[in-house]
Amino acid sequence: MSEVRISAEPRTEFGKGGARRTRRAGKVPAVLYGHGEKPKHIALPARDFANALRHGGSNTLFSIELADGTKTLALPKALQRDPIKDTIDHVDLLIVRRGEKVSVEVAVHVTGEVAKEADGLVVQELDTLAVLVEATHVPEQFEVSIEGLGVGDHVTAGQITLPAGAELVTDPENIVVAIVAAPTAAQVDADLGEGETAEAPAEAAPAEAEKVEA
Amino acid sequence: MLMPRKPPKGFRKPHHPKRAGKAKGGTRVVFGEFGIQALEPAYVTNRQIEAARIAMTRHIKRGGKVWITIFPDQALTKKPAETRMGSGKGSPEWWVANVKPGRVMFELSFPNEAVAREALTRAIHKLPMKCRIVKREVGEV
Repeated sequence: MSEVRISAEPRTEFGKGGARRTRRAGKVPAVLYGHGEKPKHIALPARDFANALRHGGSNTLFSIELADGTKTLALPKALQRDPIKDTIDHVDLLIVRRGEKVSVEVAVHVTGEVAKEADGLVVQELDTLAVLVEATHVPEQFEVSIEGLGVGDHVTAGQITLPAGAELVTDPENIVVAIVAAPTAAQVDADLGEGETAEAPAEAAPAEAEKVEA
Repeated sequence: MLMPRKPPKGFRKPHHPKRAGKAKGGTRVVFGEFGIQALEPAYVTNRQIEAARIAMTRHIKRGGKVWITIFPDQALTKKPAETRMGSGKGSPEWWVANVKPGRVMFELSFPNEAVAREALTRAIHKLPMKCRIVKREVGEV
């Protein structure tokens, strides 16, 4: 994966007031740490950073150009997002070096369709797989094919083909995708019936009445 | 109907839960493919949760799976009608989930997106706040 160049400014004001001012100025407050170095508080251009993540995925490698002219390679370690606006509130960036192996969470993408006669439901148990890879060669995602699988079949983490040099950190026995039987019409009816009958006793049992003061 | 199995450990008649702020967790779709995300704070009662679930299940019929990711664990009390003030707090009347903006309340897995969205829209009509349909995103940090 190629690295994305991004320039950073040092942050001088902290706390929620300072962070909000930084965000209003179209920047994302961030912290850069790792390799025993002192944490650096920086601000990144929000638009460029969000674009890089959108196109390159969450494990995009950044080459951060600091104000003093130094360049640092870093990977996003944690992102804080606004749950409503979906904007990035803060980023933790982990300093990495070329050739160094890092543990990252790589997305799992399910492809293909289950066998038509199987009438199964695809349940994705794991969204990401933790792998130990070279920081400069982090895969964007792992493809998991469920083509032709039937009910009761599953794909475990150990069955996924990893790129050369990558080691799986997740337990290889963990199920990534499972094909479960779709509920039958009778089960759905029973489920709906249960919901409707459960409403009746609640209506029948009024709240305990309290005595009216004379 | 959803409600705690055992009586609450703390107080039987608690104050109303705080509605300020945004959801701190449970803001992403993690089990299914699609979800219903709250855009306003609200107390969602167990009957509303059940009504939404039934509306969704009835529309998708079979071939899908529904997850409910909130639980009505807060009791709200009410004094009976025509009661004078005083003589203590009213009795527990509703069980509610204190939902804050951003919280994903229901998740759905269904192969056809159009049907899934229609099912979720029907469920949203049973809920007491503005909501939106969100889709699972691959590979978020």
